[in-house]
Amino acid sequence: STAAPGSIPAPLPSALATARIIEDLGSVPYPEGINSPKVELNVNAPAGKFKYDRDFLLQFMQICKEKPDNLPPLDAIGLEPSEQTSYNI
Amino acid sequence: ANGDSPEPGEIQEIEVDMQAQAESIKTVFSDPKNFNVKHPLYSPWTLWFDSPATKGRNLPQTPSSAFPQTPLPQTPGGAAALGWMEDIKRVISFDSVEEFWGLYNNIVPPSQLPQKANYYLFKDGIIPAWEDDANKNGGKWSIQLPKDKNRNNIDKMWLYTMLAAIGETFDPYLTNPETPPGTASLVTGVIVSTRPQFYRLSIWTRQAPSATPGEDESLRERIEAVGRHFKTSVLGYSDSQKLAGPLATEVEFLSHKDSEKKGKSARKITVLP
Repeated sequence: STAAPGSIPAPLPSALATARIIEDLGSVPYPEGINSPKVELNVNAPAGKFKYDRDFLLQFMQICKEKPDNLPPLDAIGLEPSEQTSYNI
Repeated sequence: ANGDSPEPGEIQEIEVDMQAQAESIKTVFSDPKNFNVKHPLYSPWTLWFDSPATKGRNLPQTPSSAFPQTPLPQTPGGAAALGWMEDIKRVISFDSVEEFWGLYNNIVPPSQLPQKANYYLFKDGIIPAWEDDANKNGGKWSIQLPKDKNRNNIDKMWLYTMLAAIGETFDPYLTNPETPPGTASLVTGVIVSTRPQFYRLSIWTRQAPSATPGEDESLRERIEAVGRHFKTSVLGYSDSQKLAGPLATEVEFLSHKDSEKKGKSARKITVLP
């Protein structure tokens, strides 16, 4: 049976959707224990065009866990873990 | 005041301003729920996916905003790529560090993908096909890894490959402070492939050096630096480590034009152990 998708009320915009782009990396304060991006990667960087070293990027792994608003349902594009798909169909 | 020296109160005012500004900047580290700035990536990126399950299957309708259609390229080469692209599903586009991790933490890692699946992470506007204008004169670095020995490594290797791509650190020439700012990166995208017996990781480049020795020396050096960086800094092998073996290859470069020749006449560059 094909049911029309129910109308889901639009969620409030997430912090991600409303946060503004950093234009000057040097102006960003990081809490103690968090390393800034490597300065030498961004010498003369144009505003908002930054390079980031792996150690800097890995610091976000345990913090940014929220599913992006625009991520489609994975099963709708055939993207499912193999253990799961082997039991289906 | 004559403009040469600030009024007594002026410096203090500026300091207060800067302090207020610093306090108003909240990264995800200081406030994971209500941060108000995000870290832009050098380029926006799009993740694509295909597997036998996405091929020739009528996928359920999803809202177009949640499931953007594959863009139709306007060039003749692009049109030729359409058959190939029909089975490749666009997953999501993103342009900040924070969005990348939200995606990473909610998607299937390569070790859990079905066989014959591929993730393609490409710069926005470049489709993961040879025919795209950004790829047609290029090539790829790739390495093949036996599945049984690398099941526990592949997720980390793919993560580090993606981080070098989105962090824009794959091309050592670009991270050299003497390179003119604004120089375009050679990298157009990265791919992980799962096959019954092995995994493959690939780095696609915008250009490929000529196969004729003596030509394109500076491009060849720059391409080789990408391969060496991939082998050592990204994958964590030592410079001299031999990688070839049953089901395994060295880190090898092949131009897309040579890939079309299928083997014999193709000339590979290898990151020599």
